[in-house]
Amino acid sequence: MGPRFVARIPTLAQFAFLAAALALPLFVGADSYALFVVTQLGIYILAAIGLNLLSGYAGQVSLGHAAFIAIGAYSVALLTVDRHWPFWAAAVVGMALSAGLGIVAALPSFRLNTWYFAFITLAFALVFEKMIVEWRWLTKGFAGVVGVPAPSLFGHDFGPRALYYLVAASALAGFLLVRNIVRSRFGRAFVAVRDVEPAALAVGASPQRVKLLAFVIAAAFAGAAGAFFAVQKTVVTPDDFTADFSIFFLLTIVLGGLGTLWGPVVGALVFFLIPELLAGLASWRMLIYGCLLLALMLFAPHGLVGAMRQGWRRIARRSPAAPMAAREVSHPPIAGLSLEIAGLRKRFGGVLALDGVDFTAPAGACCAIVGPNGSGKTTLLNLASGYYPADAGTVKIGGAETRGLAAQRIAARGVGRTFQTPRLVNELTAVENVMLGAYRRERSGFIATALRLPSARAEAKRLRAEALAYLAFVGVADRADLEAGEAPHGQQRLIEIARAMMGGARLILLDEPAAGLSMSELERLEQLIVRIRDLGATIVIVEHHLDLVANIAGHVMVLDRGVVLASGAPADVFRNEAVMRAYMGERALKGGAPA
Amino acid sequence: MDLDTLAHGLVAGSLYALVAVSFNILYRPSNVFNFAQGELVMVGAMTFASAMSVAGMPWIVAFAATLALVGMICLVEERIAVAPILKRAQTGTAWVITTLAVSLIISNLVGRIWGPDPILVKPPEPLSMDSLNVAGVRISSYEVALVICTVALVAMVERAYQTLQGKAVMAVAEDREAALMRGIDPGRLGRWSFFIGGAFAGMTGVVAAPILYASTSLGPDLLLKGFAAAAVGSIGNNRGALIAGYIIGLTEAFGAALLSPGYQEAVIFLVVLGVLLLRPEGLFGRPSARTV
Repeated sequence: MGPRFVARIPTLAQFAFLAAALALPLFVGADSYALFVVTQLGIYILAAIGLNLLSGYAGQVSLGHAAFIAIGAYSVALLTVDRHWPFWAAAVVGMALSAGLGIVAALPSFRLNTWYFAFITLAFALVFEKMIVEWRWLTKGFAGVVGVPAPSLFGHDFGPRALYYLVAASALAGFLLVRNIVRSRFGRAFVAVRDVEPAALAVGASPQRVKLLAFVIAAAFAGAAGAFFAVQKTVVTPDDFTADFSIFFLLTIVLGGLGTLWGPVVGALVFFLIPELLAGLASWRMLIYGCLLLALMLFAPHGLVGAMRQGWRRIARRSPAAPMAAREVSHPPIAGLSLEIAGLRKRFGGVLALDGVDFTAPAGACCAIVGPNGSGKTTLLNLASGYYPADAGTVKIGGAETRGLAAQRIAARGVGRTFQTPRLVNELTAVENVMLGAYRRERSGFIATALRLPSARAEAKRLRAEALAYLAFVGVADRADLEAGEAPHGQQRLIEIARAMMGGARLILLDEPAAGLSMSELERLEQLIVRIRDLGATIVIVEHHLDLVANIAGHVMVLDRGVVLASGAPADVFRNEAVMRAYMGERALKGGAPA
Repeated sequence: MDLDTLAHGLVAGSLYALVAVSFNILYRPSNVFNFAQGELVMVGAMTFASAMSVAGMPWIVAFAATLALVGMICLVEERIAVAPILKRAQTGTAWVITTLAVSLIISNLVGRIWGPDPILVKPPEPLSMDSLNVAGVRISSYEVALVICTVALVAMVERAYQTLQGKAVMAVAEDREAALMRGIDPGRLGRWSFFIGGAFAGMTGVVAAPILYASTSLGPDLLLKGFAAAAVGSIGNNRGALIAGYIIGLTEAFGAALLSPGYQEAVIFLVVLGVLLLRPEGLFGRPSARTV
């Protein structure tokens, strides 16, 4: 076995699984229990794939997924039995209702801490369960809806085998759609919102919208699964959709691996074997579920697929990709945006962080803000980029008032920023982090991306090349395909700058970019900032490293306890007595040591 | 307006407020919202009922034993299911799943120890559950005492946060790292808060037992209504939780009286959604600034 063959084993295993799934009905009887079970398995996989996108990738834990499946199931059952609708139309209604009702319930929670969503979905499922019973006139109460007809196409009814293939094809289609989404800008935004919300804001992605998108997809998947559930069981009762059913789905994706593509498939497969093995322990089931959930979250947060992947890496050590030659990348000029701040005030409780600060960075200039710790420098950046609301004053970017706009909207106007501690999405590679920067620039719509239409594919390819060029520009091209979290601190800062540039930033706010850098890294940072400045971008830099500031900035403002102490050319400002006192104390002043 | 319904709503609302306060006690230093809280209240009710009726302990001894036991369970939960998760990542919500798992484990274990039959618990002497007629309202002396005690308890908890330890808890909630630098040990405060929050949940179970009966199925209902009260009253705000508890209790009572008992949960759900939509931070909170 050559190493190339070993490297292909995972791909081969995937195809083998697919072939087995397709061939299975040929070996079991059309009316056998086995076929019934595998069809059900396909339905559960479909729902689990959607839930994994929502809870695994976007980090929104839904504790009431049974309700969304119930909506799909009841829609199909009631519309086909009572109204004699065709299955297909009823299924579409079920998916739309599932997504629509879900949005209404979950909308407020998207603005809040993630766990609100968990509670709201839990409550929604409980209320929905009660309402199914309460609205007897519609749902027929505990008796349920009986005799759901099989789907039919051109006059032919689907038998159990055909239904199996329909479910299997839907699950496969769902898998491929989610794979395409996860690998696109939407997938990158999901992970960013889950792990590092400030990074999502910095690239102009609205966390609410991103969460909403993930939820709509997951609810539609659940609705589709519910539609199949109804035609497969032919009976729909309230007892099918209890809280335990929701927990079952959660455990499925946790077991398989949250945020992994194959997780829901593996989880559902294993889960279907366990009850058969534990038939005698049925009454202990929920207790076992609970213990499994706890143990998995503690010891294997990426589930079985995560464990397999880790083991695999040890066996088939990937040969390191050839490092890209550090070639010179030329870059088109940037039309800088001016930043004008006047009378800016911000109070945190009893602390006046900024007290009427004026600051101007003309288009294309490099301006620095210096001052002792706690003087309000970072607060100023946070106010300018919309991370905090200002109490008073005006912020104009490129001549237009931006005070009061949300952070992601300001970012979309061409404002890029870095953070005091680098905010990269650790689980994405360096180049993916840079590509995340282009979130607002990508033109391919959601449908084109999910279907991987040629236009979307071409754009993705182009952006990847561009992102690699930016990584080369900041000098970390050799790290492109490694996880960003593994990069050394200094390189993380450079990747963050590349991400800001990728977003087409015309005004770049750098928050202490030199902190914690080695001498050689510092030199490279200085060259980089000069290069960006010479391209024409406006740069506002908050920095303690005064040598760096003196070398690159044309204008310096000194803040102390929220007020402007001095402002002007670096050479003049650093000679100012008040500045030296604030920075180095009385003693240094008497010694006369310049900065 | 039906005064009996009003009294009913106030009594139920007191219980929801107590659950909400127990949520808040845990939440303040750890920023964790315990999904097992409903089951802890249930364990409190069941333990107390058994200690009284089976073991024949005096009221006050059974009360103390229940608080200690439930507090310990909550502390164990913190050690096993919360601290390791927070150690891995301060942000993120893996604890939603782990505390939910603890909730499943508790509810199923307790279901094995005690059967599904509710246990009748008598209130302590001289209080009783016999209905009195106070100015045309039917309410028992125990229920009157419960409403008064709830208000007093919330005032006491609020006083506790004025002490140095209480302020330390608030400091940790605000900024864990800054608190650490000022010599506050967030881990220790977290453990204490889980113990006290657990004990408070146990106490809620004790006082709820005479009214709701001690039953193994108390958990999910109290979890959701306690959450509703905490969210409407702004998470972390105990006075808000008290008022919101009454809002939820009254909404539920009048909703059931005007529509049908089956709509109780739906009405509360709509109230919570409405409040969160208009005021995401709850009725008594201020929007918090994001920290970068």
